[in-house]
Amino acid sequence: MKKENKENEVRLMKGNEAIAHAAIRCGCDGYFGYPITPQSEILETLMEVEPWHTTGMVVLQAESETASINMVYGAAGCGKKAMTSSSSPGVSLMQEGISYMAGAELPCVVVNVMRGGPGLGTIQPSQADYFQTVKGGGHGDYKVITLAPASVQEMADFVGKAFDLAFKYRTPTFILADGVIGQMMEKVVLPPFKPRWTEEEIIAVAPWATLGKPAHRKPNVINSLRLEAWEMEELNLVLQGRYREIEKNEVLFEEINCEDANYILVAFGISARICQKTSELARAEGLKVGLIRPITLYPFPTEQIKKRAEQVKGMLSVELSAGQMVEDVRLAVNGKIPVEFYGRMGGIVPTPDEVLQALKDKLISKN
Amino acid sequence: MTEEIIIAGFGGQGVLSMGKILAYSGLMQGQEVSWLPSYGPEQRGGTANVTVILSDEHVSSPVLNAFDTAIILNQPSLERFESKVKPGGTLIFDGNGFHKFPTRTDINIYRIDAIEYAYANNQVKTMNMMILGGLLKVRPIVQVENVLKGLKKSLPERHHHLLSANEKAIHIGMDLIKKIEVS
Repeated sequence: MKKENKENEVRLMKGNEAIAHAAIRCGCDGYFGYPITPQSEILETLMEVEPWHTTGMVVLQAESETASINMVYGAAGCGKKAMTSSSSPGVSLMQEGISYMAGAELPCVVVNVMRGGPGLGTIQPSQADYFQTVKGGGHGDYKVITLAPASVQEMADFVGKAFDLAFKYRTPTFILADGVIGQMMEKVVLPPFKPRWTEEEIIAVAPWATLGKPAHRKPNVINSLRLEAWEMEELNLVLQGRYREIEKNEVLFEEINCEDANYILVAFGISARICQKTSELARAEGLKVGLIRPITLYPFPTEQIKKRAEQVKGMLSVELSAGQMVEDVRLAVNGKIPVEFYGRMGGIVPTPDEVLQALKDKLISKN
Repeated sequence: MTEEIIIAGFGGQGVLSMGKILAYSGLMQGQEVSWLPSYGPEQRGGTANVTVILSDEHVSSPVLNAFDTAIILNQPSLERFESKVKPGGTLIFDGNGFHKFPTRTDINIYRIDAIEYAYANNQVKTMNMMILGGLLKVRPIVQVENVLKGLKKSLPERHHHLLSANEKAIHIGMDLIKKIEVS
């Protein structure tokens, strides 16, 4: 068994490895997954560290992604902190289970380290699962809280945060990363160790969990099926009420160089890192370019983008896709200023100067 | 100070590990670092490359369009990356198997025949450390002692007996590298 190192030590590791270590440290009870590039290091690292000897966390390689998400469903039904991870095609396979978990009001964490699609696609980085994640990849009216890390440190920090949100709102929560953030190494300080919940703690946090029926209450039932339409509408109203709370309370974003900006780039994950450099290059040329980085993709920082639209001449949404988040930026801006898009697809990652050229061509030269 | 480096060659030449050792060395001297590999089908035999950034400041983009230093270990990588070296920057290449050579006159070009040396002296496994040694001779961006500390940190303990061979390889590389004048 590999030793876990000292607290607060600055380490160098891949984003995927950081996710695995953070999962153990935040008191995760079980990881169920199936390997797929570019996120296989999550499962590999967990298998190497063997947390079942230390915290008692279960790590299981399932026979498929469909099995993984249903194992997560089962564990979550018992109030356990359960998670899975995959990359785009694997996450597509999980959508039924995710919709069922949303319907059954179950918390869990799903990590998607996106690769190019559609189909089996490529193994190189992509952000083309934005729609699938924030618009509901499975059937029915549901949403999943979506955190978009842009560094290895955030990969580590967001696991515990995702579990907190998942249990607070009884909803599946996504960490939507991309192949670059998963594969690159950066400095990271891992979160401190938190023990796994005891049964008493689970009952306190998740009184709905199926941990055995005491005499004083009816059995807890975990189910997403309501045969009566009015009951199904009632469940939907509960879920929608929660989504409104999430939208009110949980929006996260970062702004860089926005105060005096004439143009703003909007980007998440690796695209935001690239755009930060684009902003630096632009400012070196005297162009006042800022960056809004949505950290939560759902809930989306609509209000902040709307506010900045009062100040700037245009926004450019930069994504590793054919243009998905740009629709939400346009909804936020509501026609006030031009919102253009620049992206590369299929696993190509644009360089900072390429983005700057796109900004000039699509917006600055038109003003 | 910020040093933006690309290391490119064939899969199996130790390109990614050389980058990792550099990144660990930067970590050892308290710098901000990023290590971004090409993890595509390249690692199964084609060309592989890694971008390493060592900086005293926060690293914004790990993805770069221009580099201070390029370390080139095969012909396709030269064709791809020679033009991406910033003017005044450094290009180090191992000429083994090359039929076309660097042509730019606005950058510093060095040749290190580490592949040939390593094969002739049965030291193939430390070839990448020779190249790293060559880099440190002409661009002392990290101290050799920090490289060794970084190596110790990144190598599993069962390989620690190889540390001295790696240190020797660094010094061999320092002797092998030579400046090339492009006319």
